[in-house]
Amino acid sequence: MSQAPSDWEVVIGLEVHVQLRTRAKVFASSPWGFGKEPNEQVDPVVLGLPGTLPVVNREAVEKAVLFGLVVGAEIPERCAWDRKNYFYPDNPKNYQLTQKDFPVVVGGRVEIELPGPSRNVMGEHRFVRIHHAHLEEDVGKLSHAGGGSLVDYNRAGVPLLEIVTEPDLRSAAEAEAFLRSLVAMLTQAGVADCDMEKGQLRCDCNVSVRRRGDARLGTRTETKNLNSISSVRDTVLHETARQVRELEAGRSITQETRGWNAELARGYVLRDKEDAHDYRYFPDPDIPALRISRETVARLAKQVPENLYDRQRRYVEKLGLPYTAASVLVNDRALAEWFEAAVAAHPANPSGVANLVANDLLRDLSAAVPPIPLSACPIRPASLAGLVKLTDEGVISKQQAKEVFAEMFSTGNEAAAIVDAKGLRQNSDTGELEKIIREVVADPSVAKSIAEYRAGNEKAINALKGPIMKRTQGKANPGLVDQLLRRILG
Amino acid sequence: MAEGFDIDHLAKLARLSLTAEEKALYASQLGQVLGHFQALAKADLPATADDARVVDESALRSDEPGPVLGVEAVTRLAPASRDGQISVPRVVDDES
Repeated sequence: MSQAPSDWEVVIGLEVHVQLRTRAKVFASSPWGFGKEPNEQVDPVVLGLPGTLPVVNREAVEKAVLFGLVVGAEIPERCAWDRKNYFYPDNPKNYQLTQKDFPVVVGGRVEIELPGPSRNVMGEHRFVRIHHAHLEEDVGKLSHAGGGSLVDYNRAGVPLLEIVTEPDLRSAAEAEAFLRSLVAMLTQAGVADCDMEKGQLRCDCNVSVRRRGDARLGTRTETKNLNSISSVRDTVLHETARQVRELEAGRSITQETRGWNAELARGYVLRDKEDAHDYRYFPDPDIPALRISRETVARLAKQVPENLYDRQRRYVEKLGLPYTAASVLVNDRALAEWFEAAVAAHPANPSGVANLVANDLLRDLSAAVPPIPLSACPIRPASLAGLVKLTDEGVISKQQAKEVFAEMFSTGNEAAAIVDAKGLRQNSDTGELEKIIREVVADPSVAKSIAEYRAGNEKAINALKGPIMKRTQGKANPGLVDQLLRRILG
Repeated sequence: MAEGFDIDHLAKLARLSLTAEEKALYASQLGQVLGHFQALAKADLPATADDARVVDESALRSDEPGPVLGVEAVTRLAPASRDGQISVPRVVDDES
């Protein structure tokens, strides 16, 4: 499906719900995690039973603050929690604890990278402003079976950071780029794992369209509970087309809440939870407002990792990496740090190291059955650096390096040891090589090629290299062979 | 009826079915409560008055998982359950 016709502009804002990486829930000490039997991870505070008192989890607050620092937001001195009241069985207490007026994070911005014209050309960079992020509790999970619905409260009370953007996004591609960038930042800072298959990141997507040049925003619709980046992209594309079609037919857009059916690839109007808009927020009387000390903020600021695009710029500008390799490495902090450790062991050729890491190493890690995580990589960074160094010094050829790499990957041995064990060291002994070349050149069967070369046919020299390599069992340094051969042929 | 709220709307939000007498009674009582808060809101208080309800980070809980109720105890609290889940009348928020 295409983008909006050129005289229409789409305006998108996202509300991204992210489960924070903690062990216990946000206001209760119940553990949480994926893959448990229904209602195993529930305690009296989660259910809001009489006499229970919610107490805020320090780690959840610190993860939220860390996110704020990652996106350069303000961390107000004080944040507070409110009750959002509604009757729905996903919610055991009939209210959700959230932050309405005093969120933990205010402002900030996320740098995004749009797709380039091709994979090896970097696309445009932009900033998307964050309005605020608030720390709340997740709700239970409903499933529908037969005539009734079933409720699992394992998810209820899981710390959830809701990140709300300004309406700064202008295309499905921008929304997708924003989510990719956000996920990278959250995971690299250890704020969240963002495993979308486990529902750890879910998105509400606000879409409106307007005539290009119109300063006023059009009526927006909100599509709720999108659980993949592709669902967000598809929702934006479909909703844009639908709204433009309605407006061009002279109809108006109804402000409504919608759902997205990813299987059928279509949107639909959600049957409104009755009066769901009237949440009667009020300050939660059980949880006092929290003052976050500047010392805590300063301590967490030290945990903020290098921004992925700052890292990418550094790799391209300072280390001279091609964009393709740099962009692969920076997406994964552990991979980038692995690469940097290898470069530290052989600083002369960062591109050579990057090439092996971004191509060969990643390929072999993921091709293994089962795939091997980087943390269990059989090759150490310094060992890979050793392989690049041997290649750079001409001890082995690039072709042989591939073979050594494969051996390193399967055995974990050092490059130099493999090269010696397999007798791969290129023959760089000029005297011995020269003798072999002279013998080959003297053979009448190559006389024609020599004549052609001397007559000016550059390529004819290659016909001589085959027999030379054969005589040296492939160990001759190709560069040296070429050099000597030209000298001998004069 | 006191200004600022609609007793029918509030009853609906709270899932309460009220008789005419109850509506009149609750509207009057709620009006008094709200009137009290309106009076409080007019009081001239120093800007720091809020601080009484602000705590520092020492009031936070450490991220240590504690005990859970157990599936049986959870489902026993509900009027109906099935396969370890709480059974409720069908709620529809999807296409089906």
